[in-house]
Amino acid sequence: MPCDDEKPMLDVKNLAFSYTDEETLKCIEMLIKPGEFVALMGPNGSGKTTLMRCINKVMKINNGSVNIDGDDILSMTMEDIAKICTTVPADTPLDFALTVRDFVSLGRTPFINSLWWESDEDEAIVDKAMWDLGITKYSERRLHELSSGERARVLLAKGVVQTPKLMLVDEPSAHLDIKYKVQVMEILKDLTRRTGLTVLIASHDINLLTRFCDRIMLLSKGKILDCGLAKDVVTKESIREVFGIEVELVECNDTLYILPTGSTMNIQ
Amino acid sequence: MNDSAISNNPQELTGVKKTRRRATLIVISGIISLFFLFLISLNVGAYPIEIGDAIHQIWQIIITGGNPEDMSGKVILNLRIPRAIAVILVGAGLAIAGAVMQAMIHNPLVDPYVTGVSSGASFGVVLFTLGGSLTGWAFSFMLAPIGAIAGAVGAFFATMVVAEAAGGKAMSYVLGGVIIAAGLSSATTIIMSLTADKIHSITGWMFGSFADIEWADVCIIAIPIIAILIVVLLEARKLNVMLLGESQAQYLGLDSRKYKRNMLMLTAVLTAFCVAYCGVIGFVGLIVPHLCRMVVGGDHRVLIPSSIIVGSVVLMVADVICKSGPIGELPIGAITSVVGVPFFIYLMMKEGKRYAM
Repeated sequence: MPCDDEKPMLDVKNLAFSYTDEETLKCIEMLIKPGEFVALMGPNGSGKTTLMRCINKVMKINNGSVNIDGDDILSMTMEDIAKICTTVPADTPLDFALTVRDFVSLGRTPFINSLWWESDEDEAIVDKAMWDLGITKYSERRLHELSSGERARVLLAKGVVQTPKLMLVDEPSAHLDIKYKVQVMEILKDLTRRTGLTVLIASHDINLLTRFCDRIMLLSKGKILDCGLAKDVVTKESIREVFGIEVELVECNDTLYILPTGSTMNIQ
Repeated sequence: MNDSAISNNPQELTGVKKTRRRATLIVISGIISLFFLFLISLNVGAYPIEIGDAIHQIWQIIITGGNPEDMSGKVILNLRIPRAIAVILVGAGLAIAGAVMQAMIHNPLVDPYVTGVSSGASFGVVLFTLGGSLTGWAFSFMLAPIGAIAGAVGAFFATMVVAEAAGGKAMSYVLGGVIIAAGLSSATTIIMSLTADKIHSITGWMFGSFADIEWADVCIIAIPIIAILIVVLLEARKLNVMLLGESQAQYLGLDSRKYKRNMLMLTAVLTAFCVAYCGVIGFVGLIVPHLCRMVVGGDHRVLIPSSIIVGSVVLMVADVICKSGPIGELPIGAITSVVGVPFFIYLMMKEGKRYAM
């Protein structure tokens, strides 16, 4: 699928990582084109978050290589990486009396050369991102006064102002209701189509991933089992193997959805 | 309320420009009130001086090149001015130590007192001054800052090791600090019991007092305190990044573990210089950043300058109260604690849940 003439945005080769003696991630291979919206699907503890932390160099990999936009992360500083790759966490941090705007502006950090203040250009980027994500009206509100859905958009805005080429999104919808889950996915998809941003999203919400993502990578016990279009990767067999539950597959508007019809009682 | 009214007004400045203007306003008004408090503090004390006389004497000090003839001029030059400067420096220093610690440990309910730093400094001072008489060394209060730094940094290091081993959560720091402080306080008590004949020289210090501050002391603490305050001011933007938490700060390119360690050590040293001569003064580091955060918000580019000013003002007020005590001086550490404890309890009950204490 990836065209040979195009430089991959993310190129992971033979990556291995371990917290202790046991390998948390092994033989990870990934090739993601610019502008792709790729899902990292897997159950709790399969290594999704760890893999993201290896890609953005928060964790030091034991083996293999990670190239972002053609550059090996080993030869880049954390700040270099922050300029091209952003990580959107699951939730906002503790309230420290920061306003929404203060918080979003922090996304400009890797680009600010002056000691203290953001430049007018930084300000303009922040204004635009907040406007695009419809959070301008919350500018002066404090983070904890917002609903989860609003906070999710604030987090995305902070990622957008970092003007990344690659966005890693970790469990964006874990505690959102269904409308906001869809909204977050729509925003991300729109970003990839409109601005050419590459998004790698980790989630265990299978139905959202099959509906919105271009490709699915199935991660289980630290290994990538399969990678490809939703209809090829998400099968009754693969879900049984990875998630340990029987499912029915339903197709609706050309999208594959799963229904968890099985029980966990008769497994193991 | 106020904020929504502002955002509804299209003429209003937004973003950084608004923050910047707010910072300027607070610093200017703070400096003006600090100036008046400075004048008041020159009047108040065991030897009362009229405000007109005080201003006249300051003029005399300036034109005589530091050799006033009157008694009140000598009092102002040699007692009141160094004392007022020390109060300003220590108030600012403790407030900033608290503000930085809160940002680094990621919890607005910690301060140098809670994390064991102050107890470490006390222990260091007691060991270096009273301990000297046990081993036969010269008994010198000049050693106080060295003892304070060694004690503060050592105690904080111990707290940090314990807390990080227990997961590095704010709660771990508080518990670790309490344990380390308890151990050090007992050690302090033991030394004081063994040197019971000499403790009168140190009891005043233990409760905190600016009564014995001289020019020499001010000179020793001024340079490091001012230097660290400048460093913290320059780091204000990075402190904001640290509010996101260790891993999110890393996503923005900051080596947050190393940064946190360095800034916390700097804070311990700052606290040590603050308590070296005037003793343990609790709660300024907790309350001042908190009050400022309520008024100006969490952006450290506004919070740090306003905490410096408000810290100085608060301690200056406390010191004037101490000096106007009906029979002799009151210990300033006791005054700040009397006000600080109910405030801390209030914060804990109101906000404790949110900060997962």
